[in-house]
Amino acid sequence: MRSAWLIFAKDVRVLARSPALLVVLLAYPLVIAALVGLVASYASSKPRVAFVDEDGLPAAIEVAGHRFDLAGTIERSTSELTLVRVDRAEAERQLRAGRIVALLVIPRGFAADLRSLVRRPKIELKTTRGGLSPRVSQQAQALVYSLNQTLSDAYLDATLKVVRLVVGGGPGEFFGNRFTVIGLTGARELLAELPPTEQVREIRKFVSQAETALGDADEALRATARPVELVELGDRGRTWLLSAQVQAYGLALTISFLALLLAAGSLAAERDEDVLQRLVRGLVGHGWLVAAKAALAALLAALLGLAIAAAFGVIVELGGVEGGQPWERLPLLAVGLLLAGAALGALGAVVGALAREGRTATLAALLFVLPVVFLGLVPREVTPAVGWISDAFPFAHALRFFGDALFELDPWGSLAREAAWLAGLALAYGGVARVAMRRLLA
Amino acid sequence: MSGETLLSARGVTRRYGARVALHVTDLDVHAGETIALTGPNGAGKSTLLSLLAGALVPSGGRVELASGTLVGWAPQRPAQYGRLSARENLELFARLGRVPEVEVASERLLAEFGLPGDRQASATLSVGMRQRLNVAIALLGEPRVLLLDEPSASLDPEQRRRLWELASGLRAHGGALVFATQHLEELERADRVIRLEEGRAAG
Repeated sequence: MRSAWLIFAKDVRVLARSPALLVVLLAYPLVIAALVGLVASYASSKPRVAFVDEDGLPAAIEVAGHRFDLAGTIERSTSELTLVRVDRAEAERQLRAGRIVALLVIPRGFAADLRSLVRRPKIELKTTRGGLSPRVSQQAQALVYSLNQTLSDAYLDATLKVVRLVVGGGPGEFFGNRFTVIGLTGARELLAELPPTEQVREIRKFVSQAETALGDADEALRATARPVELVELGDRGRTWLLSAQVQAYGLALTISFLALLLAAGSLAAERDEDVLQRLVRGLVGHGWLVAAKAALAALLAALLGLAIAAAFGVIVELGGVEGGQPWERLPLLAVGLLLAGAALGALGAVVGALAREGRTATLAALLFVLPVVFLGLVPREVTPAVGWISDAFPFAHALRFFGDALFELDPWGSLAREAAWLAGLALAYGGVARVAMRRLLA
Repeated sequence: MSGETLLSARGVTRRYGARVALHVTDLDVHAGETIALTGPNGAGKSTLLSLLAGALVPSGGRVELASGTLVGWAPQRPAQYGRLSARENLELFARLGRVPEVEVASERLLAEFGLPGDRQASATLSVGMRQRLNVAIALLGEPRVLLLDEPSASLDPEQRRRLWELASGLRAHGGALVFATQHLEELERADRVIRLEEGRAAG
C-alpha cells in the first residue's frame, strides 16, 4: 500500500512537471468528445433526401380561388431533412451509392390533380432499409400532413366565404360559378316590409335562426376539419447540447480516453525508463504498481470530470435554464468518476503491460478505446449482443452511472448496481494487468 | 574463498522464448570477494546479474540469499526517473526500500558521488552523472552485496577511481562485489573472473 502511494505521488509529481503532456492529456479527450458530439448531432438531425420534382412545381399555386405558398410549405415541412434537388436518374444513382437515404418524388401532373379537386395528387417516397428510414418516412408524412392542412384551410375559407355570402348576400363565385344572392340579412329586411302574416312570421323566425346558426359556422367548421390542435408552448428547458444524456456522454467519453491512455502510457513508461526491474526487486509488488496507475487515472478522471460538470453547470446557470444544474449531485458524480477512472485505468494497465513500451502502449490504448466507446454508444435495444459485450468494459457502466447520478430522482438502486460493476471491473482488469506484467518484465 | 556465502545461484537458467540467454549456471558469492564477469556482447553477463539481483525470474534453478543480506544492483542502463532530480530519485528509492533516515542517506550519496542537489531533472544530466546516480541508487541501504553491470563505462577516470574505492570499502566491511566489464584492466581488481560465452561459463 505504502509503495503504491509512493509511486502514485511520484507519477503526480512527474505529470505536474510535464505541462505540455498534461494539457494534451486533458485537451485531447475534450476535442474528441466535441467532435463525436458534432458528428452525432449532424448525422442524427439531417438525413440527405433527394427531391425529384418531375412536375416542375411553381413556387405558389392557386386552388379553389386560394393561393398556396407551395415552396414555403415544402421547405417548412422538411426542415429536418437535407433536400437535394436532382433528377430521378441521379437520385436513383445516389440512393444506390448510399449518398442519400430516400427519394421524395413529385410526379408529373401533381399540380393539375391539385387544381382539379377531383383526383387526389400523390407524392412518392422511396427509402433505403437503413436506420434513418423511419425518420425520413415521418418527415414525408409531415409534409403530406402539412400540405393537406394548408389545402383544408383553403377549402374551409372558400366554404366559409359562401356561408358569409348566404348570410350577408351579394355577388359571389363558388368553384367557378358566378351568382348574386340577397342573403339572410337581405331576406330579413324584405320580410320586415311585408305584413306580419302567420307565414311571414314563420319565415322571419327561420331567417333569424339561420342567421344565428350560420354565425357560429366559422368555429364549428374549423373544429370539424381539425378536431385536435397541437399548441407548441415556448420552453426554457435544456437544449440538446445541455441535455443529461449529452453531459453523461461527454463525461464518459473524455475520461475513457484520458484514463486508458494515461494508465497504459504510464505503466509502459516504467519499462521505458528501465526502472521497472529495479522496482519489482521487492520494492513494489506487481499488484501495487497496477493499483498506483489505476489510482493516477482515477484522480485525473475525477478532476477532469468535475471540471466538465462544473462548466456545464455554469453554462446552464448563465442560460437561466429551468431545473438548473444539480450541484448537490456533484459528490455522487465524483464517486462515479473515481470508480470509472480506476476501472478504465486498470484496463489501460492491461494495454500498457501487453504493449510493453510507451509509444506502442499509447497507440494501442488509442486503438482500443475507440471500439470500447462506440460499443457503449450503441443502444442495447438495437443489438443486444453489443450490449453484453459492452458490459465487459467500464464505459457503458460509467455512462449509466453519470446519467443517473446527475438527473435521476431516485438513482440509488441503479447507482449501486453500476458502482458494483465498475468496482468489479477495476479488480478484474487489475488482476489481468498484474499477470500481464510478466510480459512487461520479459 | 573461505568467507560466508552471501549469495548463490543454483542451476539457474534463463530463456527468452526459444532462445537460451543463460545456460545452467552455478555461482557462489562469498563475503569479501570480488567477482568479475566478462565476455562478448550478448554472452549473458547482464542476464546473470539481473537474475542474481532478483530483477529477472529464472526459467530454471534458484537464487539464494543469506539471511539479512541486502543486495544493491546497478543495471547497465541507468534505471532512474528522468523527470525527477538526483535527490528525488534517491529519496524515492530510499523510501521504497525502507531505508532509515532517508534524507541523511540521500544527502550522503549526493555528496559522495558529486551529484547536484538541486531540482535539475536527471534526464538533463550528463551520461556520466546519470551513471553515478545509477550506482548511488544501488548503494542505498548500504547493501552487503553489490552487483554492477559495466559500471565504469561512462565514468571519467576520477569517478572510476572513486568507484573502486567504494568497492574496496565494501569488501573491507565483509561485503562482496560482482561486476560485469569489457575492460581487461578492471579484471585485475577481481578475485575471480568468470568468462561467459553464448550463455555459458567458459572458465
